[in-house]
Amino acid sequence: MISPAFASILASGRAQFNARAAEARRRFPALDMAAFSAFLRDGVDPLVVAVAAAAPERVGGVTLAAYDMALELVGHGLAGPAAKTPFLNTVWRELAPSFAPLLSTAPVDVLGMLSNAALHIASVAGARPAQWQRELAALAARIATLAQLRAVGQVLAWRAGVAHFRQGALAAADTLPPALALAAFGEPGAPWPQVRAQLQENPWRGNADGREFGSFTGLGGAFGTPPLVRASADGFVVYSGERHYLLVADAYGAVLHSAMAQEFEQANADMPASVRLDGATLQIGARRIELDVPAGDMAIAANAHTIAVTSPWTHAIRLLPLA
Amino acid sequence: MSAFNLFQRLSQAPTKPKAVPAARQFDVADLYQGPIALGAEGEAAARPFDEKLRQAYFWIVNHAIISPHYDIEYNDGPSQTYSVGDSRRTLNLPSAQSYSSFILLPLLTFATRRKCLFVGGPGRGKTASALLMGVLAGSTVKEVKRAMQHGHPQMTVADLLGNPLPADLVNAQSMDDIRIAWRAWLGMRVKIVDEYNRIPTRTQSALLTVMGDNYAEVLNHIYECPEAAWYLTANDDQGGGTYQVIEALRDRVDVTVQALAFNPRFLNELLLRVEENVRPEELVPPDIIFTEGEVDQIGESIRQVGIPDAVRRRLEFFASQFELFETAGGQFEYMTKDTARLAGADRGAAQAADNGRDRLKDLGCQTLNGISVRTLMALLIYAKAMAYFRGNGEVELEDLRQVLPFVLHNKLQPDPDAPFFALPENAAYRSDRLGWLRRLFDLSNDEFNRLDLDRDDPVGVLSAEFDLGLDGVSERETLARLNRIEKLIGERTKGRKLYGPLYDDLLKLKYLHQRYTNYRSWLRSQ
Repeated sequence: MISPAFASILASGRAQFNARAAEARRRFPALDMAAFSAFLRDGVDPLVVAVAAAAPERVGGVTLAAYDMALELVGHGLAGPAAKTPFLNTVWRELAPSFAPLLSTAPVDVLGMLSNAALHIASVAGARPAQWQRELAALAARIATLAQLRAVGQVLAWRAGVAHFRQGALAAADTLPPALALAAFGEPGAPWPQVRAQLQENPWRGNADGREFGSFTGLGGAFGTPPLVRASADGFVVYSGERHYLLVADAYGAVLHSAMAQEFEQANADMPASVRLDGATLQIGARRIELDVPAGDMAIAANAHTIAVTSPWTHAIRLLPLA
Repeated sequence: MSAFNLFQRLSQAPTKPKAVPAARQFDVADLYQGPIALGAEGEAAARPFDEKLRQAYFWIVNHAIISPHYDIEYNDGPSQTYSVGDSRRTLNLPSAQSYSSFILLPLLTFATRRKCLFVGGPGRGKTASALLMGVLAGSTVKEVKRAMQHGHPQMTVADLLGNPLPADLVNAQSMDDIRIAWRAWLGMRVKIVDEYNRIPTRTQSALLTVMGDNYAEVLNHIYECPEAAWYLTANDDQGGGTYQVIEALRDRVDVTVQALAFNPRFLNELLLRVEENVRPEELVPPDIIFTEGEVDQIGESIRQVGIPDAVRRRLEFFASQFELFETAGGQFEYMTKDTARLAGADRGAAQAADNGRDRLKDLGCQTLNGISVRTLMALLIYAKAMAYFRGNGEVELEDLRQVLPFVLHNKLQPDPDAPFFALPENAAYRSDRLGWLRRLFDLSNDEFNRLDLDRDDPVGVLSAEFDLGLDGVSERETLARLNRIEKLIGERTKGRKLYGPLYDDLLKLKYLHQRYTNYRSWLRSQ
């Protein structure tokens, strides 16, 4: 059952809504009208209700925008019960209603941004979509403009594990009021310039242990064979199973991109002077780290901030902060 | 939110992903890129113009002109091929991004502001394609349609260019007092002449002035036209229109494209248009409209695309094949087909006297003429444009190979009596001129490879040596070079039949010899 508010709008514009659905059916021959109805009920109705409460005079326009977008998303198989990315349904159902005031002024932009971002984050292996949604919902009441929504969404996407957004997200945070920027980093009360400088300086700020990345494809991991790693300016170039990747990692996450053989050949295979491998113990300056892999045949690569340790006995890459 | 735009969608993905390692730049704005189109704030940064050009191509191919003929084939590694039918013709499935010439060549014409001729039967999209090019230049459909010149048997020069104002004709004391009402199309950045082979010969001459010199003249008044891309259409390329097209006008056309038949398998596209009551040219997405400045920049970028020496040499070798006609001239320099043509000589008799050569191997025997300077320049610019369109900074041999048939279509006339066409396997080339030209270029490249000219080109070595300049070259060295030239000429002419490339090599060696001879004289006078 849908809410009376939504039912009333659908009834009043019945001919128009039907015409739009018919037009979409021509464009998307596989458009499943049952799935579309389900998405109207589960995804569109909650936000119509929220907008009806926040700005009743704008609910018609918001509904029309949401209806068209829903047709497009379901037509692409991206929303509804059989969606390729169920996270999109969750964002419409649970997150979008939190932005009812913004939705009432710019429905296409808000819904479009949230939908595209949901699809993007869900497609990044290793990202944490639920964290992004939870943290964005927590800040919804403090987000007053579309620009703030855009910037906060970008910062939170980085913090939710999309590591390659680091520089862009820092730049986006600079456009926010300091209090909102600090809230996005979960550090209210700290001086923003100081936090900003530390984030810029140290990609592993707040994570001294580093992280493990990879594992065997047969167990849902990323690498078909134990990887070889070389350092590059952006991260690490990885070779595994006759394929090349670029691994970008920091305190918040690690993301794998495709790369080319030339990049692997051009990458740096030198071990830094401050790093020494003693059996299964890694010594970084004064720090000693016991590695849980058999000693011998281990390989090390390092860029300005990170050490990557690989072994022929594991498909995982151990990433450790250099500082 | 507006209703769905069935025809205005552009591909968000790069149309030509490049497999070249480049410095990575991750853009946080990618977070909001996805299937939902956002407003201006959500738009990505401006695309490079070659990408915009490709977006335009793919929009036209997928939504406007239904031309599923991928006859410009590129391969990236092995491709799947099938032999089909009694004639065992090859159906190739290209392994790299390939294109439809009917859309791509007009688009390259637009980018380079050259002149394109559409040929083909009625109702195959010739005029529609030209119309789209006008819309890409920023004009409305109505403006393009109004400015389009329709060739007809009664078309006068005044119809084409403009009229003197009637009041001025009566009152004027001199020609300068007569004002001319110029036709609007003269000021368009895309000029379209529909069915140009139906224009009377005298009016064709006026059109020639506009096409060739970019100005119009009526009663001593001059109208300077802006730089423009030209599109002409003709139902019959062989002069079967109402009037014979004058040769100079045909020669001004840079590229000829054939409109292929509609594939009924795509009837559903037509049905959709009927049902939605839409015309694609009225729905060109604003994102693929080009400003004048953008076309200027594209033209500049295209000119900057490099042509490697190895590719240029192949073209030189190819072009060398066609001009030689040994029996036409008594003097070495005049042994050309043009000499025979100017004299109106009996070609058959002259050809009969030209015996002893391998008439099958000699590509020059397949044509009635050679390649003009204008044609060679058009070849170079279209090869560059093709490389630019594909996102490359240098022309590849395949770029040249792909554009060559369309540039030479109207220019290199086949000799139907040539032994080549008498072979059963070559019979189709009598009617398939594009296929014949491509085959001609392939044969030329085969010969180039056989002669190993990539690695062993003594004339090229001497030429490169000369290109370094004569500053500081001693008399002794000059004499040595003269000796090398004479020795090479002796070697090359010893007991050999004269073929086109050898003829051009000998003329080049003669030129070098003459330059060194003059230089030696100057040295001795010092």
